[in-house]
Amino acid sequence: MNEPTFDLTTYYPIFLYLVVILGFAAVAMVAVHLIGPRRRTAVKEMPYESGMDPIGDARQRFDVKFYLVAIMFLVFDVELLFLYPWAVVAYQEGGIPLVLRGPVFWGVLAFLAMLLIAYIYDWRKGVFKWR
Amino acid sequence: MMEILNNVLADQFRYLLPEIILVAAACVVFLGGTWRADRNLWGLFSLAGLVAALAALSLTSDWEAPGGMVAVFAAPLQWDGLTTLTRIMALGGGVVLLLFAWKEVPDRQAADHHACLLIIVAGVGLVAAANDLITLFLALELISIPTYVLLYLPKHDEAAQEAALKYFLLSIFSSALLLFGFSYLYGMTGTTNLSAILHTLNQETSARDIPILGQVAMIMIVAGLGFRITAVPFHFYAPDVYQGTSNVGAALLAFMPKVAGFVALLRVFGFVLPDGVTPRGGLAGTGLSDQLPILLWFLAALTMFLGNLLALLQDNIKRLLAYSSVAHAGYMLVALASTPFLYGDTSGPNAASALLYYLVAYGAMTIGAFCVLSYLSTPSRSVESVDDLAGLGQSQPRVALLMTIFLFSLIGIPLTAGFNGKFLVIFGAMAVPGEHTHLYVLLAVLAMVNAAIGGWYYLRLVAVMYLRTSHKPLQPERHTPALATLLVCAILTIGLSLPPAANWLLEATRNAVAPKSLPARVVQSDR
Repeated sequence: MNEPTFDLTTYYPIFLYLVVILGFAAVAMVAVHLIGPRRRTAVKEMPYESGMDPIGDARQRFDVKFYLVAIMFLVFDVELLFLYPWAVVAYQEGGIPLVLRGPVFWGVLAFLAMLLIAYIYDWRKGVFKWR
Repeated sequence: MMEILNNVLADQFRYLLPEIILVAAACVVFLGGTWRADRNLWGLFSLAGLVAALAALSLTSDWEAPGGMVAVFAAPLQWDGLTTLTRIMALGGGVVLLLFAWKEVPDRQAADHHACLLIIVAGVGLVAAANDLITLFLALELISIPTYVLLYLPKHDEAAQEAALKYFLLSIFSSALLLFGFSYLYGMTGTTNLSAILHTLNQETSARDIPILGQVAMIMIVAGLGFRITAVPFHFYAPDVYQGTSNVGAALLAFMPKVAGFVALLRVFGFVLPDGVTPRGGLAGTGLSDQLPILLWFLAALTMFLGNLLALLQDNIKRLLAYSSVAHAGYMLVALASTPFLYGDTSGPNAASALLYYLVAYGAMTIGAFCVLSYLSTPSRSVESVDDLAGLGQSQPRVALLMTIFLFSLIGIPLTAGFNGKFLVIFGAMAVPGEHTHLYVLLAVLAMVNAAIGGWYYLRLVAVMYLRTSHKPLQPERHTPALATLLVCAILTIGLSLPPAANWLLEATRNAVAPKSLPARVVQSDR
């Protein structure tokens, strides 16, 4: 067995990514402290819990609007989940066979169109109006 | 080899044309409905979609399907007689239910309702076409998810909310059971392709070294699909859900999931085998476990008795029809239980074809019966209890006659499709050869006893309609689409019992489940 030797340098994009992420987080936090306006009120001092009251019984009723937005987010999340593998193998040597590229391409387009239709449907039904 | 495989996959889209049309039409209706709320516009558009899908089906079924081992073992979908027949049933049922829903669904919800209906029809077609466990599961979900919406749309009272929630929770529970069973099936055979699974399981030296694995898979799959066909331990939701939802929702639930469930059972257990696979030991459907016929035997007996006996106690017509729907699932399970022993006999009784025949007959008469209830109901007064039908023979003689036809067919009185269905099912059970003859004769006797019990509560409805009078007779509005539904159902109920149509349907169902032979051309390309 000819095992490839482990070489840390092949992973340099990941380390680069890590540095950028950490850098962004640090810069964002410092920038907020430097240039953000400060209004200290009792409500603002509370721990942030996505608009819910952080103290009290956790079993309370949520507004249905949260669910609508959450599902809307899920649509695009799943869309990306499917698009990544396709984008990687679509035109790669040894990826999708040549005869199937056409059908798969149109399949992906149909998938995107379907999501677009769902998005327009949501929009028309007023999901994005935060009444 | 690789080339053939890829061509087969690329080919799949051509045969999908009816389903593609249905889903595209559904998308247009969903979107368009947000601009205009108009039941006539979207009803007509959906009807056009269904008719276009039927036309596409008649086109594609003439094309030469890519047959043979390579095609079948590679493709996620397959196209044979069973697929075509099921798609015809789904599309026909879709047309009837669409006309039925015309009056019952308010303008504001018509578009969403009809679009969901189109997707359910597409889902039933895909269940029949599925040749892969994943495709099959997705197709079943394509039926379930719009059904949740359909159950909730027309009514928002407490009963409807209970119905929708109950159906939703039990449906996802049954899907989980089904997936569990599928995972064992995959574990035993190492593939998700249905034809390949059946090929592996039906080898004489098969992968069934550990019989308990096969039994677990069998029980889980029967449980998961049993929910959809309302077989007995999984029937609990039916009466509450049927009672809580609209008439059209109940009719849809009584027909569409049953078709999908039974066709899925036929496919998954290999009651209908793909090209070039012969059943293990000559008994179709026992590839997974030898215990399947016994399990189905008990399910059939229990389902018939419980459905019929509990229907005797009901005063609400929709609950009564729900239990009747459970009982009819029992009769169909009798056919399914006797299928393994009658496989491959092209001239004698054929239980699988009896099952499909019964499904068609059952669809016509049950949708008809629900449609009568819907036709008689007015916004101020909905027909709920048996007493509401009192005096219908005098006040609405024609509607009463139609209801009588449907009820007679549900009993199984000659000259109705229900009789032919029951005859074929019982005849099939009586014809089981070999050591199990006694058991199946007993099952046939139980089915006949149940038909007699069923006669009681259906005749009670007839008696209420004709022998009693009402202080306040029902005054329904004339409504053309609902009337058309009633007439279509009545014509089917009577017509399918008479020679030309009955013979055609029998021939079609026999072709759908007949063993397929492997064309020589494909055997060569396989090497």
